[in-house]
Amino acid sequence: MFNFPKGLAAAAAVTLLAACGSSTNTSSVSNSTARGTLALDPPLRIASLNAATFAAELNATATGMQLLALTSAPVCGVDFYYVKFWTVGGANETTESSGALMVPTGTAPACSGPRPIVLYAHGTDTDKATNIADITNPSNTEGALIAAAFAAQGYIVVAPNYAGYDISTLGYHPYLNAVQNADEMTDILTAARTALPNTLSAATSDNGKLFITGYSEGGYVAMATQRALEAAGKTVTAAAPMSGPYALEAFGDTIFFGGVDLGSTVFSPLLTTSYQKAYGNIYTATTDVYSAQYASGIDTLLPSLTPIDTIFAQGLLPETALFDSSVPTVTVPDNPTESAELTAALAIPTLATTPLAPLFDLGFGTSYLITNDYRVSYAINVLTFIDGADPYPLVPVGSPPTLAAIPSAIPSPALAPAFYLRQAFNTNDLRNPSWAPSAPTLLCGGDADPTVFFSVNTGTMQAFWQDQNLPQGLVNVLDINGPPATSGPLASLGPLQLAFQASQTALLAYYESAAGGNLSAAAAAAAVTQGTHSAEAPFCTVAARSFFSQF
Amino acid sequence: MTLLNFRTLPAALALIVASLGGAASASADDAVPANDFRLGSYSVFYHASADDLSGPYVPAGLNFHTDNIETLYVGYVRRLSAHFAAELALGYPPLTKTYGVGPATVGSVPYSGQEISTARWLAPTAFVEYNFFAEDALLRPFIGVGLNYTNFYDRRSTAAGDAASGGPTKIELPPSFGPAATIGLSYRIAPRWHAYASYSASKVNTRLTSITAGVDRTSHVEFNPQALVVSIGYAF
Repeated sequence: MFNFPKGLAAAAAVTLLAACGSSTNTSSVSNSTARGTLALDPPLRIASLNAATFAAELNATATGMQLLALTSAPVCGVDFYYVKFWTVGGANETTESSGALMVPTGTAPACSGPRPIVLYAHGTDTDKATNIADITNPSNTEGALIAAAFAAQGYIVVAPNYAGYDISTLGYHPYLNAVQNADEMTDILTAARTALPNTLSAATSDNGKLFITGYSEGGYVAMATQRALEAAGKTVTAAAPMSGPYALEAFGDTIFFGGVDLGSTVFSPLLTTSYQKAYGNIYTATTDVYSAQYASGIDTLLPSLTPIDTIFAQGLLPETALFDSSVPTVTVPDNPTESAELTAALAIPTLATTPLAPLFDLGFGTSYLITNDYRVSYAINVLTFIDGADPYPLVPVGSPPTLAAIPSAIPSPALAPAFYLRQAFNTNDLRNPSWAPSAPTLLCGGDADPTVFFSVNTGTMQAFWQDQNLPQGLVNVLDINGPPATSGPLASLGPLQLAFQASQTALLAYYESAAGGNLSAAAAAAAVTQGTHSAEAPFCTVAARSFFSQF
Repeated sequence: MTLLNFRTLPAALALIVASLGGAASASADDAVPANDFRLGSYSVFYHASADDLSGPYVPAGLNFHTDNIETLYVGYVRRLSAHFAAELALGYPPLTKTYGVGPATVGSVPYSGQEISTARWLAPTAFVEYNFFAEDALLRPFIGVGLNYTNFYDRRSTAAGDAASGGPTKIELPPSFGPAATIGLSYRIAPRWHAYASYSASKVNTRLTSITAGVDRTSHVEFNPQALVVSIGYAF
């Protein structure tokens, strides 16, 4: 009898026993979904660049070279970790989120051992797949900026992608939700501190100093985080919120009264969805707020995997027309004066009343986002529940809002405005509840910012705090577009202001040149204005680093 | 691993002994011994080709190669007839080392030429062979075809591999089944002692998955080893 196969199987099987349990382990997955839990420990290192390689990669592109010129050459290498962590959504839902841990590496003294942490919050992003940790993605310019400005100069950087983005299954983004934003920043900070000793870059450790900063949406998130951490008695070494919509109610009022900012049609659905999810009362149907043309599906439109230009091209969102160019005629019962005032105030701003009329004019069109009915209801609420920072109705009829118009009255938010969107703005306005920083704070922005108006946000916060008799030098405001500081605590930032202004002048000349399209002076100025909000970011970021380096 | 557990191990060993004993007794009446044990050297030459690694955060052009190895050859050959035999060829599971091929660095992490992973191969191959000439010929060429089974175990990413992958990395290499062929020559030293030399080739395909912090990177790999075996056999 030929019984070889049995013998073969048995012999093979005996030897196969050696194969059991033989492969090595990878990161462990957390069983807990409690806030601040690191979901995968250790996190993935997406890339590891030494100082020379990082410099070479930045020098390979024109924008990278400009960035390097501004941030100066990397002193340290940077290891980029992709951190997944557990946090909460806008209605306290448990959700996973992700972000970056950037660790300085190398032999220079500033690059290893105990180092400070910069907790950074990024600006509004419509791309649902955004991952600020992915330095291999050429479109991740904000990740490159903070790596060059902070990590390559010896700061550990921690930055969330935000709930609702990347791997998060939340299904929406809690946009400008002060409580959630601060919670998520706190949670990624906890997770990153857990992760750091287990990474491939464990030679670098946390020295306990915490700097908080962020740009645009992230400026708001940074300030909300500073407020929450200080209220909780946690260490904040210094903070530098940049170009954020801090005084949200006053900013909203400005927009509804015709001072429409660039980007408002993108910000609106992010805001209404965020507050609808958090409070459930913004609308019963999206048509309560939005014109029929855009109402359907707008509650799930952003963030999206579809590029925003495609969304505009598909007609799912108007590019700039927030309001109806056929402006409303308001009738307040038994009050012809108020009716006339409101009708006039809701008109399209003209050059006769504000030099910003061409910018504001973009906010009106025949294919518009928000209905006149909703706009009028909002405006009537503003008249009833006054925000102390509002240019309206504290300025005479016929003078539409200007970016610089901060009334002299105490700029406090309204008391319980009871119109749900405005109530949400009020709830999330960073003057509410009243507070003041206890750590040194720099507010950087630019007074020509067409997207997040400087004076109504940064100026309002400054005025709000000035009223509280804070210690001298605690709160500092840098207008990157303003007269260069030559004395005082920000004197060293004067050259940075000049550099920004020179870059804007050069850009204007470029647009007027053949290479830039031979634009007319007015068109070139408009093109420069359109890019101003983004253009300020690297200058303010370097200003923030300079500010932090004092502590 | 699922074939056996420790409870059934003694039974399996008994089975092997019984099968060998049975074979030996079955051949006792024949002039030609039915069993042949061989020991020798196993020189394995990989003709590997692999797709570039693909997956999240993997730069283009990351590939790898596997070092040739030498190990101990153990063979058992069962005579089926005057010309046919069945062989089970085994090598002592060699530690096979894999080296990065492609860019010098991934970011700033050294890659090309770095030993990135190791694995032991348990790769039994079963052949049915045809032997030319008479059984008592001094030289007998033979050819054979068969089936190779390769199990990869003790799979480890090295420190250099972990650095390139971005953290502690688990490597998956599912077992491979593939055809094999051999050609060889036997030389009769003494009635029961022969020297053998053979060259064989087998198709070993698998799908490599490296898992780092929840991120999978994969590559289809064809190792396609060829092996030179030089051995001495004792027939009984």
